[in-house]
Amino acid sequence: MRRSAARKSGQSNSIAPITSSAADLFRSASSKASSKEMERIDNLFYSYANISSGLIDPEGIENLCSDMEVDHTDVRILMLAWKMKAEKQGYFTLEEWRRGLKALRADTVNKLKKALPELEKEVKRPSNFVDFYAYSFRYCLTEEKQKSIDIESICQLLDLVLGSHFRAQVDYFIEYLKIQNDYKVINMDQWMGFYHFCTEISFSDLSNYDPELAWPLILDNFVEWMQEKRT
Amino acid sequence: MSLPTKRSATATTSSSSASATANFPPMKKAKSQAVSACSPLDPSCNKNGIHHFSSAATADNDVVFDPSSMTLDDDPKLQDRSPPAAANLSRKKATPPQPAKKLVIKLVKAKPTLPANFEEDTWAKLQSAIKAIFLKQPDSCDLEKLYQAVNDLCLHKMGSNLYQRIEKECESHIYAVLQSLVGQSPDLVVFLSLVERCWQDLCDQMLMIRGIALYLDRTYVKQTPNVRSLWDMGLQLFRKHLALSPEVEHKTVTGIYAESFERPFLDCTSEFYAAEGMKYMQHSDVPDYLKHVEIRLHEEHERCLLYLDASTRKPLIATAERQLLERHISAILDKGFMMLMDGHRIADLKRMYSLFLRVNALESLRQALSSYIRRTGQGIVMDDEKDKDMVSSLLEFKASLDTIWEESFSKNEAFCNTIKDAFEHLINLRQNRPAELIAKFLDEKLRAGNKGTSEEELEGTLDKVLVLFRFIQGKDVFEAFYKKDLAKRLLLGKSASIDAEKSMISKLKTECGSQFTNKLEGMFKDIELSKEINESFKQSSQARTKLPSGIEMSVHVLTTGYWPTYPPMDVRLPHELNVYQDIFKEFYLSKYSGRRLMWQNSLGHCVLKAEFPKGKKELAVSLFQTVVLMLFNDAQKLSFQDIKDATGIEDKELRRTLQSLACGKVRVLRKVNAIQMKETVEENTSTTERVFQDRQYQVDAAIVRIMKTRKVLSHTLLITELFQQLKFPIKPADLKKRIESLIDREYLERDKNNPQIYNYLA
Repeated sequence: MRRSAARKSGQSNSIAPITSSAADLFRSASSKASSKEMERIDNLFYSYANISSGLIDPEGIENLCSDMEVDHTDVRILMLAWKMKAEKQGYFTLEEWRRGLKALRADTVNKLKKALPELEKEVKRPSNFVDFYAYSFRYCLTEEKQKSIDIESICQLLDLVLGSHFRAQVDYFIEYLKIQNDYKVINMDQWMGFYHFCTEISFSDLSNYDPELAWPLILDNFVEWMQEKRT
Repeated sequence: MSLPTKRSATATTSSSSASATANFPPMKKAKSQAVSACSPLDPSCNKNGIHHFSSAATADNDVVFDPSSMTLDDDPKLQDRSPPAAANLSRKKATPPQPAKKLVIKLVKAKPTLPANFEEDTWAKLQSAIKAIFLKQPDSCDLEKLYQAVNDLCLHKMGSNLYQRIEKECESHIYAVLQSLVGQSPDLVVFLSLVERCWQDLCDQMLMIRGIALYLDRTYVKQTPNVRSLWDMGLQLFRKHLALSPEVEHKTVTGIYAESFERPFLDCTSEFYAAEGMKYMQHSDVPDYLKHVEIRLHEEHERCLLYLDASTRKPLIATAERQLLERHISAILDKGFMMLMDGHRIADLKRMYSLFLRVNALESLRQALSSYIRRTGQGIVMDDEKDKDMVSSLLEFKASLDTIWEESFSKNEAFCNTIKDAFEHLINLRQNRPAELIAKFLDEKLRAGNKGTSEEELEGTLDKVLVLFRFIQGKDVFEAFYKKDLAKRLLLGKSASIDAEKSMISKLKTECGSQFTNKLEGMFKDIELSKEINESFKQSSQARTKLPSGIEMSVHVLTTGYWPTYPPMDVRLPHELNVYQDIFKEFYLSKYSGRRLMWQNSLGHCVLKAEFPKGKKELAVSLFQTVVLMLFNDAQKLSFQDIKDATGIEDKELRRTLQSLACGKVRVLRKVNAIQMKETVEENTSTTERVFQDRQYQVDAAIVRIMKTRKVLSHTLLITELFQQLKFPIKPADLKKRIESLIDREYLERDKNNPQIYNYLA
């Protein structure tokens, strides 16, 4: 019954057949919390998920993006992942999907799309942004035990995450990262350091920067490079 | 100002010039007293000027000439003539005396006595004369008589009274004169001319008095000590009364002297020296200029003593100093200091020091010294190509500076500190290399083969090198190199003298503490212990029964922790050597259980007896060389690969070994193919790298240790603590690197609320 009800809600995409294990989960989980909304959310999930893995994979995400008319490299997808607390880049689990969409109160693609501006605002709130910023770094650690991200990817990530807020700092820092030879990867400590740098240090005069404080060394070098550039 | 000149005695004849000349009858030329003294004693002396000999002086013959009993010439011509002023009895007459009258010579029985009140009367004459002189009035008595009066008083031993009376009389007049100046003319210039007139008058008066009392001057004054000549007396009286009359003195000295004279004088002096200073600075070199300045200052000083008031001395000298020295301090230093230092010009530098001391310019000198030392020292230290001379150049340089400090700069303490600071700075300009070179220098000195250096000389050199060592900040680099070199010397038996080695160690111990030298001392112990072990080994049963014959072997047993680490190198030893090693190992482990022995093949050396076509020779070679050479016992030619396979020696090491055999001065092998060789610079760089590695570990350990104790610590405090604990120089950036590395390895973390604070992660 429920299955047919799910079908009736009229998804534009093809509806993938639900595997028996997923169905069991569904039935048991929703035996108590049986809102229609959750049903629709789940159905939405399955409309994008990969049959064999039971997860939404990169291809699924790309489909979702085109349905939402959002580029899959758009920062808002990252924000969505953050909202979902998704752990693995490029994949959404059912649980993560549920978490995210429930919080956004979206059970259709349209609603999801409409929820994005609100989501952006939410992320930009200072209390959330630090969390989002840290999350975005972790999200890119694809390998197990990986602790750092290569320079190339960092540059892209910086642009994505901080570009709109701190255009000048990001541009200069990216330029510096590409020139310097001391570091081939950036770790979490340096990543977070840069954010604090952007919020605390006056740019581009850098007058209140003190290398004797605990700023990561890479930022000391960056500031030195900036000052040399100026003269 | 010119000195007042004494008017000459002849001035009195030209009486028109002097207003002070008294009105006397023209003075006759003074003749010697014996001839023409007109003695008032002699009553027969008449006023017509006929002189008679006074018999009073020669009292023995009481002979009196009675002129009345003498007949004068009857010649009418002669009678008309008035008696000449200076009649001379020796003048011959035209006609012989008439025999009409008789010449009677009567002998006076009694000694002629002085008339009563002789002294008072005579003095009265003189007194009135002096008064007249001072008051510029005429006196009735003529000069001759006065002169005679003085004579008489002196002859009768009344000289001292006379002197005192004259003095008193002069004093009262001088006093009166000076008093008369009081209250005169407030205008200083006019006043000065009044004073001048008084002065001139006084001079003339004193001269005159002196002329009269010449006899007194020449006899009594000369004979009596502590009595001034009349002239000096006059001056002194004038001075005394001038001083007693403050107003006069004030107006003369302070008023006029200071303003009208002193100031323009100083200004002129200033201008003069300003110009001279400029000119000389341009034309002469610094040492000559300084000499010139010294001379000038001396001259000014003398000038003050000679004719200027003492109060002028200070401003005068100060003016000269200012113009000649102060203005040119930096020019002098820029132009000549370096040259003087380079040339070791002790005397010139000493002059410079004392002159600068006078104008408080020692600070500039000190700074010049500092920059000179840094610049020159930098040249010595930073010149790559002169590395092998660096240490001896630095020693020479320091010795030269010390001499200059002692002799030219009078051991000034501030200068001593400057030298020390500058040296510390320059020696650490180039990281690590000076430390390495000092270690090498010491190695050369301590090695055998240093003939001609006495023990004392060596000690002296060691002490001087130690002074340099003290300035180095990265002492652990020195330790690593010194240890390496010491190990070689000990193991290869190349020390010149164990005493010298031990002396050096104890010096280092005093300098750096026992922790520094513990390992070095351990090395010595090992060597001595090894000797004992070898002895007992030779005596042991194993040695006597099992050793292969034909070889002698001795073993150094090294305690791992003390000696530098040597990379283990494998090699396939000839059979006999292997046996020997095993037997020794057996012996050793029987004595000391629980230890592990590892053979260090890279350190072994052998003496091979070889037969060459030209005869038998002994070769002192390393173990590796030995192994290679032994292969040629069985083969004439071997390829590199063959050798490598047979010996099992690692590639790089093998190449080195072969090169030393085939390409050195003494060629044992002929190489057929050229082999590429690398320098053993690697050895040195790897030592340095090892030190750096070691430092990294030490930093990490220190950070962890500190954080473990404190648990939570701010960044700045952590850095401060680290600088206190770490004994080698390190940059804050390097410390940051280590901290970040430790964060990465999760030993610490940044505090979530405050990134300036670190938390220890247990």
